Amino acid sequence: MGAAGSKLEKALGDSFPEGERYFGLENFGNTCYCNSVLQALYFCVPFRDQLLDYYANNKSLGDEDNLLACLADLFTQISSQKKKTGVIAPKRFVQRLKKQNELFRSYMHQDAHEFLNFLLNEIVDTLEKEAQAAKNDQETSSPAEKTANGPKNAHANGGPKEQLDTWVHKNFQGILTNETRCLRCETVTARDETFFDLSLDIEQNSSITSCLKNFSSTETLNAEDKFFCDKCCSLQEAQKRMKIKKPPQILVIHLKRFKYIEQLGRYKKLSYRVVFPLELKLSNTVEDADSEYSLFAVVVHVGSGPNHGHYVSLVKSHNHWLFFDDENVEMIDESAVQTFFGSAQEYSSNTDHGYILFYERLGNGHMS
Amino acid sequence: MINSANGMASGQGASSSSSAGAGAGTGANAPSPGLKTYFKTPEGRYKLHYEKGHPSGLMHYVQGKTVTQATLAHLKDRPSPPTPPAQSSSGFSASSGVRSAAARLLGGSNGSRALSFVGGNGGSKSISASSRLGSMGVSSSSNSTSTSNFDGRGTYLIFNMGDGLFISDLNSQDKEPMKAIYFNNVYPVCHAFDQDAKEGHDLVIGLSTGDVYSVSLRQQLQDSGKKLIGAQHYNKDGSVNGSRCTCIAWVPGGDGAFVVAHVDGNLYVYEKSKDGAGDSSFPAIKDQTQFSVAHARYSKSNPIARWHICQGSINSMVFSTDGAYLAAVGRDGYLRVFDYSKEQLICGGKSYYGALLCCAWSMDGKYILAGGEDDLVQVWSMEERKVVAWGEGHNSWVSGVAFDSYWSPPNADDTGESVMYRFGSVGQDTQLLLWDLELDEIVVPLRRPPGGSPTFSTGSQSAHWDSTPPVGILQPAPSMRDVPKLSPLVAHRVHTEPLSGLIFTQESVLTVCREGHTKVWMRPGVAESQASNVETVLSTSLKDKPPSTKVNYSGQAMTGTNGGFFHGSRIFGH
Repeated sequence: MGAAGSKLEKALGDSFPEGERYFGLENFGNTCYCNSVLQALYFCVPFRDQLLDYYANNKSLGDEDNLLACLADLFTQISSQKKKTGVIAPKRFVQRLKKQNELFRSYMHQDAHEFLNFLLNEIVDTLEKEAQAAKNDQETSSPAEKTANGPKNAHANGGPKEQLDTWVHKNFQGILTNETRCLRCETVTARDETFFDLSLDIEQNSSITSCLKNFSSTETLNAEDKFFCDKCCSLQEAQKRMKIKKPPQILVIHLKRFKYIEQLGRYKKLSYRVVFPLELKLSNTVEDADSEYSLFAVVVHVGSGPNHGHYVSLVKSHNHWLFFDDENVEMIDESAVQTFFGSAQEYSSNTDHGYILFYERLGNGHMS
Repeated sequence: MINSANGMASGQGASSSSSAGAGAGTGANAPSPGLKTYFKTPEGRYKLHYEKGHPSGLMHYVQGKTVTQATLAHLKDRPSPPTPPAQSSSGFSASSGVRSAAARLLGGSNGSRALSFVGGNGGSKSISASSRLGSMGVSSSSNSTSTSNFDGRGTYLIFNMGDGLFISDLNSQDKEPMKAIYFNNVYPVCHAFDQDAKEGHDLVIGLSTGDVYSVSLRQQLQDSGKKLIGAQHYNKDGSVNGSRCTCIAWVPGGDGAFVVAHVDGNLYVYEKSKDGAGDSSFPAIKDQTQFSVAHARYSKSNPIARWHICQGSINSMVFSTDGAYLAAVGRDGYLRVFDYSKEQLICGGKSYYGALLCCAWSMDGKYILAGGEDDLVQVWSMEERKVVAWGEGHNSWVSGVAFDSYWSPPNADDTGESVMYRFGSVGQDTQLLLWDLELDEIVVPLRRPPGGSPTFSTGSQSAHWDSTPPVGILQPAPSMRDVPKLSPLVAHRVHTEPLSGLIFTQESVLTVCREGHTKVWMRPGVAESQASNVETVLSTSLKDKPPSTKVNYSGQAMTGTNGGFFHGSRIFGH
């Protein structure tokens, strides 16, 4: 592994980015779903920086036993390595993850997207809990209760007015507007909802642009699926469409490659070829301005079925593309990204398919 | 296995291709499930006539290594007869798109604007039709003719797949190619045929290693081996540039000069008359982001010049029909237009987003189509130096674009001041889209008051179409609402694989997929008559292209710069 590290260093040579670390993550038996997402998050620089800041400002975290603390500890470990490349064992993080969530102990649910979602929500919960505790400390100076589910409920039911705008929100959260137009009274009802990622239905031989267009296309609610119009006070036919009201700073796109097939009674992997550009603009926004994004990480599912297989990730760092496969890190050419689009034919030897895409917003962002 | 599931396996049935002539859909080419064998347009049905593929035994491991490009080559009788038939030649390349034949026609028709625009006059067309019929007769009655008694006349489809380069007789129903040339573990990725070559080599091939070969197509066809023969080798072992070739093109009227674009953003100019082993070295590129041209220091050197065009790959480049301008598109999403002889960047602009993958000129040199990773087909106006329309309709990246120079607008008498173009595009969504571009419709919405487009940092040009930006300025990406949209006339799923190119011929539209399959779609009225007799085809082609074309140019101001497109005397004065 030391040899592999030096190989990467040789490949990068003088262009090895100052202060950057490229470390593989050891696999503790089926933890590649976790490793691949962790690498993508590590190279999501604004997220990493804020996590490192958080760790630096909360020195006591070393003893704290929650996922956020474990993640911050892991990222700090990586970034403070003396060597530029190598392998790290995310042991503490994985143990904590398995302890915290039964789902990730069983082998059926090792889905990288579920893991990402779980992790981000856990971090938000912890941050909110801490903010609440700090507030309580100020108000009552009594020790904060360490109940695990109290703040969680607050997050779910408390409504947006109470919600804390954490750095996770600042990075990942976008707002969708669900516009429903009653076909009888023409009243448009708009309902906002927040998201950390967009889950897109995919079609064979399509592009992300096209999937996003479908996501925002107008859908008619009729027959069994009518809409309850408040104005008409009855179920009515309606037209519904989703628009992006606030584009997120980090746009995470999840391709729905795992589809439940009723006849089979199980999930099937869709190996469809879905091309994703290195640059993307969202045009299905409420505002007129087109938000521009640049691709910086791809979590790739390797394998022909949903219940077995492997995860790797592609990461762009300082204009170099890197390939992370558990403990191995290699440099790849930008053009190699297109070998992860999928297959135009159903049966193909190519089983490495882009599954979660990470785009970073360029230019006039809303950060800090 | 690529051919297993979706019916593309008709390749195995190629031996029964003799019955395919019975007509699309009923022939031996079993249609792929879900794929129709025809599509409708206002002028009638285009029908799938036959398919061309690579040898069925081709190893599958090579698939995905390269993307198939296709070039059409028209070989004349040898010795070539005196003047008129020379004008009938037509050579088109799906990807590099060098339309040298059209340039030829421009010269041949005495610079007449109206005639040159539609691609030729009636006289040359009828000759073309008869000579084509001749070759059709030969090939259809002699499918089993071995290459050794090859008579040298006909239209050939040249395409690459894996480590092979294949040549197929376009007018034969045979699905398998008549000739295969293997390069053994290196991949031919681009090729171009010089319709106007009077002597010497006429086919150039660019490889994945950066190496370039020039050969005589006729010589390859006469040989029965599986190796390239009589080749001149340039950039041997990547000695000048070791990066992958992306695109290759003959300079129209350039006396055997050709250009090769590479994945590292450089383009090299070669001369076939010079030794390929000439010592060439070029100074280091000072600024990767800037366009620069360096000339070889010694007169014997080949390549003779290096153009550094952009950072990242040059994905495609095409000469205008008269050879005056070179358009190039690349990874950075910019379309760039150069004055070739002055070696100067004239104008260009950014895609909506993402890389551009393909481009093509209109025959009159007024418009450039470009397509890429934003799923749009952009129409670039040379006059206005900006994008004047976006074609929306592909569900994936646009990989091939071309104007249909054989199409003429219906009721041309009534169109008055407007000018119409027909063009096509193919994409990774496996679709062929046809579009009509009517200029009056497009120009109007562009005359909007200034200040409406915040993205144009340079201001005024978005409002006034007469105030073109200065030479060499690249336009930023337009905003979605600032560009008028076009909708396709026809959208047809033609293959099961993503497409890589399309070619319009007088009788047909060819669609090429990435994995080496080509489908030939006969134009309305052609498919039926072709099987019958000479008279019908002749009259069809005449009807197809009336000598007195009604396209009216008076509506379009002919500016000084644009005038140059039509005369072309600099190059075609012979």
